[in-house]
Amino acid sequence: MLLIESCRLTWPDFTANYSLKVPTGHLCAVVGPSGGGKTTLLHMIAGFEVPESGTLAFAGQDLLPLTPAERPVAIVFQDHNLFPHLTASQNVALGLQPSLRLTGRERALVTDMLDAVGLSGFDQRRPGEMSGGQRQRVAFARALISGRPLILLDEPFSGLDPGLRRDMVQLVDELRRRRPVTIVMTIHTPEDVADLADQMAFVTHGEVAASGTPADILQGPLAARVAASILDE
Amino acid sequence: MKLRSRLPHPGNVTALAIAALVAGSFIALATVDGGKPALFSIGPYLIRVLAFSVIQAGLSTILSLALGVALALALARRRFFGRDVVLSLLSITMVMPTIVAVFAVLAVYGRSGWLAEALGALGWNGSFTIFGYPGILIAHVFLNAPFVARITLDGLDLVPAEQWRLAASLGFTPAQTFRHLDWPVLRAELAGLAGLVFLMCFKSFAIVLALGGGPSRATLEVAIYEALKIDLDFGRAAWLALIQLAICLFMMLVLDWAFARPPATHTMRAQVRRPDEANRRLKIIDALILVGGGLFIAPLALSVLRGLRNIFDVVDADLLQAFATSAAIATAAALVACGLALSLASAARRRMISRSRRLAAVYDFLPNSLLAVPPFALTAGLFLMIRPFVDPAMAGLILLPLINGLAALPFAYRYIAPRLMTTEERYGRLAASLGMTGLTKLRIVDWPVLRRPLVASFALAMALSFGDFGVIALFGGAELRTLPYLLYERLGSYRLDEAAAVGLIIVLAAFLLAHVSGRMSHAAD
Amino acid sequence: MLRRLLLACLSLCFATGIAHAQAKPTLTVYTYGSFAGKYGPGKTIKERFEATCSCELVWVTAEDAGSLVGRLRLEGETTKADVVVGLDMNLAAEAKALGVFAPHGADVKDLSLPIRWADDTFIPFDWGYLAFVYDSTKLANPPKSLKELVENPNGPKVVLQDPRTSAPGLGFLLWMRQVYGDKADDAWAQLKPRVVTFTKGWSEAYGLFMKGEADMVMSYTTSPAYHVVAEKKDQYKAAAFSEGHYLHVELAGATRTTKQPELARTFMVFVLSEPFQSAMPEGNWMMPAKTPQAGLPGAFKDLVQPSKALLFTPEEVQQNRRAFLDGWLNAAAR
Repeated sequence: MLLIESCRLTWPDFTANYSLKVPTGHLCAVVGPSGGGKTTLLHMIAGFEVPESGTLAFAGQDLLPLTPAERPVAIVFQDHNLFPHLTASQNVALGLQPSLRLTGRERALVTDMLDAVGLSGFDQRRPGEMSGGQRQRVAFARALISGRPLILLDEPFSGLDPGLRRDMVQLVDELRRRRPVTIVMTIHTPEDVADLADQMAFVTHGEVAASGTPADILQGPLAARVAASILDE
Repeated sequence: MKLRSRLPHPGNVTALAIAALVAGSFIALATVDGGKPALFSIGPYLIRVLAFSVIQAGLSTILSLALGVALALALARRRFFGRDVVLSLLSITMVMPTIVAVFAVLAVYGRSGWLAEALGALGWNGSFTIFGYPGILIAHVFLNAPFVARITLDGLDLVPAEQWRLAASLGFTPAQTFRHLDWPVLRAELAGLAGLVFLMCFKSFAIVLALGGGPSRATLEVAIYEALKIDLDFGRAAWLALIQLAICLFMMLVLDWAFARPPATHTMRAQVRRPDEANRRLKIIDALILVGGGLFIAPLALSVLRGLRNIFDVVDADLLQAFATSAAIATAAALVACGLALSLASAARRRMISRSRRLAAVYDFLPNSLLAVPPFALTAGLFLMIRPFVDPAMAGLILLPLINGLAALPFAYRYIAPRLMTTEERYGRLAASLGMTGLTKLRIVDWPVLRRPLVASFALAMALSFGDFGVIALFGGAELRTLPYLLYERLGSYRLDEAAAVGLIIVLAAFLLAHVSGRMSHAAD
Repeated sequence: MLRRLLLACLSLCFATGIAHAQAKPTLTVYTYGSFAGKYGPGKTIKERFEATCSCELVWVTAEDAGSLVGRLRLEGETTKADVVVGLDMNLAAEAKALGVFAPHGADVKDLSLPIRWADDTFIPFDWGYLAFVYDSTKLANPPKSLKELVENPNGPKVVLQDPRTSAPGLGFLLWMRQVYGDKADDAWAQLKPRVVTFTKGWSEAYGLFMKGEADMVMSYTTSPAYHVVAEKKDQYKAAAFSEGHYLHVELAGATRTTKQPELARTFMVFVLSEPFQSAMPEGNWMMPAKTPQAGLPGAFKDLVQPSKALLFTPEEVQQNRRAFLDGWLNAAAR
């Protein structure tokens, strides 16, 4: 269980106070208006932002004293996920071994993982030679191969067109069934994940205003606000 | 639509115009003696001068890059009080008039300089001399290393925030951070920077003569100067200038080949903590670099403050007029530099998009190769070209901004071209799909990204022009007197102290410009 | 703001240009920077000449004598110069060869020059001897002759100008030739270990000396007068050398292309007159070509009086300079 309780962060012009529970193995989609604090929530879980007070724990382990590298967390950003001077397989391998000195077994793992995300034969391509969707697949492969049980996806598909987006969401869903991981993803278009997510959280003004099943959020009393905030964009 | 696409791109026109200007001035110089091109052979004297020029410029470049890059990395990793001011100070050494730099080196390392005094106070009573390689290298590293640090730091700041977070999340060691985040930036910047510094040192000659200690320590530029001003053998000057251009172009080609440019993933600046900030060993190394670099640069820079004593003696109508003239020429020169840089960079970008990398490289090369052209020869040649059409009294007004602008172009280009490439990578396809081209694209897509680098390069071009004493030596006059001109005039009248004060004013003006441009280029979007 | 400044400046330039064209006739005189600068004699001379000529005198400057000739060479027939003030003997042959100068037509008898003047193109307006200047509080026993300086391995350290780029630098090269003749190159090899450096110009060398980098600097016998008059310091002296000193004469010439030959000729005559000459000593820190009636200022009376003036003719310089330079390069680079 990912447990976030009254985690408070303040900036001169913005205050956030998060509380959220995500059971282990769930996929939680975070929706809400931009500027509402979705990304900040993910950055806090990953350790890029440190709350002044509150509790942050995963599987019973307190995350707050840990550095980003020590946390059981892997993250995929919307953009700039890959190092442009490394090949696809090197970028994936970073999740396994940042020194890039791999054993034969590890090398095989990398190849398998690229296959799993549908990029067989792309090992030697560099990010500049791949499409946006392919780059995000590489980033996702890197997150998975790290073996970290909590994966954060920060609007990973918002640059892609609708059909491709749908494919990617399905890929995520398929892979999480292969190996149990807990996923928290922010997303612009809730309908893409409505039937796959176990849970949906509506974040606005730096708070988790509501959390429940996708149906609760998208059809309950909050539905109008959620729709309005997303239509605003 | 068809007609439109046939119109030449302004960048192509600019490139051709620059090439024509340079070529034309060479031809004008070479054929001024009644059309017969001067015959010219490379004797042992020239070989010796060339060998020395290459060696001293090579050493100066290596040392400047080493110190500059070390400083940039240390400054990127550390935040401390006054860092802003340090960053602005980095931009000013390069624009110092050479004589100010020579006197600064002597004030610190000379026979009765601060170092000798300090050693003497410690009871050491030997003597040392810095004339020769030490003096030349100290001066060149002092002038160039801070500039290298500044440009490198700007590049490091452009690494996407996501990659820093990724590095933190993946737990990169300092070595891995260097390999995956810093080194790609350095590799992208080093070729261009090394080329710039090499050229500046290769051409440097007042410094080389003043601190070199003997006639064998001379650069090719001395021979060009001699041909132009003492022998009045313009044909020989043109040929020598051509040799210099060829060597410098060759050098840049080698550098470009050695450091192939990786694709850029520049993004907007973001203040992100670097994961290697906390490493204890790096803290010690950075402290050593900053203190060491500070100990090297600060005394030299501070010695310029000696001019403070006489600063009120020099403020008079002459000075104010010279200041206004300098400012006006600098503004015009900066306009020229930024305009040319913008049109060349957009031409280079067009070539990159259409996948003709070779041609793009030509545009990348052109600004740097301008540095290889001796300004004195270029001025003389251009003057001969425009002489039939322009009143010689007006020539200075036209040539000063033009030559100073051309001299600042390589620096402006370094700021502008990468950003223009960045906007292309980000919005190029979008703009193309919306059918945006030409000025519309420039206004809507490029301008928001270019605004700050343009301001920064404008300020740098102004600062460079402020300190320049190349062209004005030939075309100064009662009404066309700039600050450096005033400085040499005071020196010529034995007024060393007042010259120091004028030097300080030049450096202060450059500092203010650097500070403003630094502020502008660090401001949030 | 900057744009406004630029506009203001440009319009000022144009405005002054137009004003010149409409008002009194203008005499354009080319000279080197420090002559027309704040401390140079330019302002005084302008006032004094304008008081008599009902014209306007405009100084146009280049950095030094070499730049002046270079600029004339570039401008050729289109030059705006009516008169050029500030050439020197070593450039005289090249300047004459440009073909832009007209005979001066002035009376050059009774000059207070150490040599007889016979040139009909240029007139001398001031002169001085080259000399090594030293600080007598630091160097008690300066050499008494050039030979002593050159041949004493423990002699004082000197800073010189590069003869490839500087007028006094070339002057000293010629001085060495005058004293040593064909053995000059060996003398250079002997002197070389005590030469701190050869700077680009006089200013750098004098600056190096004042900053204490050398015991002596190549300058003029008149330099100490500056320190006495302007700074009230009498420790700076010029060393008197028994072989004689090389002579440095500064020249003025009127152009053939001038649109106002009358006015130009008037100025050439004015150059050798009292109002111009009396501005030389403490304005340009050189000896006047014609001693003013009131005599020389005090500080100039005490200056070193060389026993003999050493000089090559401009033609000799033009013919031999390349060979002298090559010899020097080989000897001093050893």
